[in-house]
Amino acid sequence: MFTIEKSLDEMSKEQIVNFLKETVKPLEGVIPAYLLGDQTVYDIEHQKVFLKTWVFVGHESEIANKGDFMTRDLAGYSIIISRGDEGEIRGFYNMCTHRGMKLCRADKGNKSLFTCPYHGFNFKNTGELVGVPLQKDIYGGDLDRSKLGLHEVKLRSYKGMIFGTWNEDAEPLEDFLGDFKWYLDIVIGRAEMEVIGAPQRFVVNSNWKVGSDNFAGDSYHTMVTHGSIAKLGMVPNATYSKRGFQIYTENGHGLNLGTPNPDFAFPEELKDEYKSNLSEEQYVVLSNLKNMIGNVFPNLSFLISHTKIKGQLISNTSIRMWRPISHDKMEVIAWMLVEKNAPQEWKDRSRDSFILTFSPSGIFEQDDTEVFTDITEAARGPMPFQKNLTYNYTMGLHREPVDFIGPGVAYDDKFTEASQRNFYNYWLELMTK
Amino acid sequence: MNFEKMLVKFEFEQWLVEEAQLLDEIQFDDWFNLMHTSLRYQMPVRVNKEGTERPDYSTEMFTFNDDIELLKLRVERLKTDYAWAEIPPSRTRRFVSNVSVKEFFEGERAVVRSYLLIYRSRSTDIHHDLISGERNDEFLFEDGKWKLSKRTFIVDQTTINTRNLAIFV
Repeated sequence: MFTIEKSLDEMSKEQIVNFLKETVKPLEGVIPAYLLGDQTVYDIEHQKVFLKTWVFVGHESEIANKGDFMTRDLAGYSIIISRGDEGEIRGFYNMCTHRGMKLCRADKGNKSLFTCPYHGFNFKNTGELVGVPLQKDIYGGDLDRSKLGLHEVKLRSYKGMIFGTWNEDAEPLEDFLGDFKWYLDIVIGRAEMEVIGAPQRFVVNSNWKVGSDNFAGDSYHTMVTHGSIAKLGMVPNATYSKRGFQIYTENGHGLNLGTPNPDFAFPEELKDEYKSNLSEEQYVVLSNLKNMIGNVFPNLSFLISHTKIKGQLISNTSIRMWRPISHDKMEVIAWMLVEKNAPQEWKDRSRDSFILTFSPSGIFEQDDTEVFTDITEAARGPMPFQKNLTYNYTMGLHREPVDFIGPGVAYDDKFTEASQRNFYNYWLELMTK
Repeated sequence: MNFEKMLVKFEFEQWLVEEAQLLDEIQFDDWFNLMHTSLRYQMPVRVNKEGTERPDYSTEMFTFNDDIELLKLRVERLKTDYAWAEIPPSRTRRFVSNVSVKEFFEGERAVVRSYLLIYRSRSTDIHHDLISGERNDEFLFEDGKWKLSKRTFIVDQTTINTRNLAIFV
C-alpha cells in the first residue's frame, strides 16, 4: 500500500503503475478526479497514450490537389502532410534536418518545395533534400544530401481520415479501429465526404479526457446542459436523447446512436450512393438515424446531429479533436464534413446548422465548454489526489447488453456509462503497460 | 476632412459606442432592434497563410453566419434558464476605435470599418479573455435610423482564446 501523502511525481514508475491500478477502477465505475488534474498523469499520458496510439491529423479532402500541404499537430509535434505528384499522401516532421528550424509555418497551401527560413536548405514534398545554398563552396564534395531527408511520419488513411503515429510498432490502423470501423463508415464513409473550409479552433481550459468522455457516451447531460435547445423547439423534448443504443468496441472506442427517426436525416438524392458504400445493415442504421455521437480513442470525437432550424429539419456531420495543451487546457479543432455530391443548398444549410449548434458560437457547444472548464478547475492540485475524490461511473452497471445489428457491446438506450468505463479501461491498460 | 465628413464619422462612432454599451449591459433585445431584417452576421474562421497571401480567412467556414432569424434564436436562447454558458453573464467591455467611413450615401446606406477589442471576465476566474478584431459593417437607413445589415468580424486569432462565443462580436 502507498500512503496517499506521497504525490505521483515522488513515486517511481512502478509505484505509479501500481497506484493507478489500485485507484482507477473503470469496471466498477470508479474514476478518481486526479486523472484530470495531475501534471504527472498528463506527462505519462503523452508517453504511453499519445506517442503510442494512432492520432487523427486531418481529412484527405483538405489536401485534395497535387502539391497541397497542411501542417498539423501529432502528439505535440508539428508535421507537414503533403500530397505528391502521384496523389500519394506523405507526412514529415516539420523540422529542418540541418539545424532543427520549423520548416513550414502556414496552416496549408500548395507547393512542392519547402525552404527553411534559417539557412535555406530546401526539401521536396517527397522529403528529399534537393538544395543547399552554396553547397559545393562550403561543404566541398562531402555533404551527402540523401542522408538529410526530412523525418518521415507514419500516416495511414481510413475512408479519407488520415491518422498518424510516432510508434513504429503500432498495430495496423485498421486493427486499432477494429469493429468501430462499422460505425465510422456511417459517419465518414457513407458517401464521398469533404471538409468545408477550414477547421474551427478554440481553447478551452479543460482536460482533454472530459471531451472524449462526453462524446464517448454521455447523452445523459443533454437533458440539462442542453435544456435550452428543447425549450426552443429544436428537438422534441428533454428526454429525446435517451432513445437509441450505446455501443462500445475494443481499444476504448464508443458511441451513442440515436434512433429511430421518422425522417431521413441526409440528402434523399444520395440514397444510391449511401447504398453502394454501406452494407445492408449499415444502411438500415443510417435510414433510422436521428443522431450519432462517439469517440475514437483517444481524442477524436464525431457527431451527426439532426435538428429543426427555421422550421426545417437538417443534419450536420462533424469531427473534432480534443488536442491536449496541458493537463488543464486543450485546443478544440472541429471540422465540418458534408457529402461532396449533396445539392449546394443542402450543404449550405447543413453548414449553417453546424455553426449554430457546434462551432465555438454553437448553442450546444458553448454550454458544454462551461461544464468542461469547471470540472477541470475542481480537479486541479493536490487535494483531490490526497483525499482520493472520485467520480461515479456506475450508471447501467446492472444492465445486460442486447443484440444489435452492428458489432460491439450494445445497450438498448443511451443513458448508461458503459462506454465511458470502456474508454477509461483501455486508457488504464495503456497507462499501466 | 471637411466638417460634413466629420459629422458622418461621429454619427457612426456614436452608433458603435451605443451598440457596445447595450451589449456590455446585456440589453440584448434593444441590441437586436439595431439590426436590419436583411442582416448577415458573419465571423469567418481565420487561417495562417504563407506570406502575404490574402484573404487570410476562410470564405466558406464561419464561427457566426446568422441571418436575422438565427440571431433572434440566439437572443431568445439566452433568456431561457438553461443557457449555462452565460449564467452568470460574462462581464464584458467592448472598446470600439479606428472608425472609418468607407462609403456613405445620405439616408440610404453606409459602409464602416472599425476595430473592436472585447475584454471578458467570467465568474470568479482571475484570468480574462481578450478578443480583438476588425469589423466591416454595412448599414441601411430605415425609419429614420441606421440599421446594421451586414457585419463581418475578422478576428485576430486563428485559435480563439476564449472558451466559447456565447457573447456577440
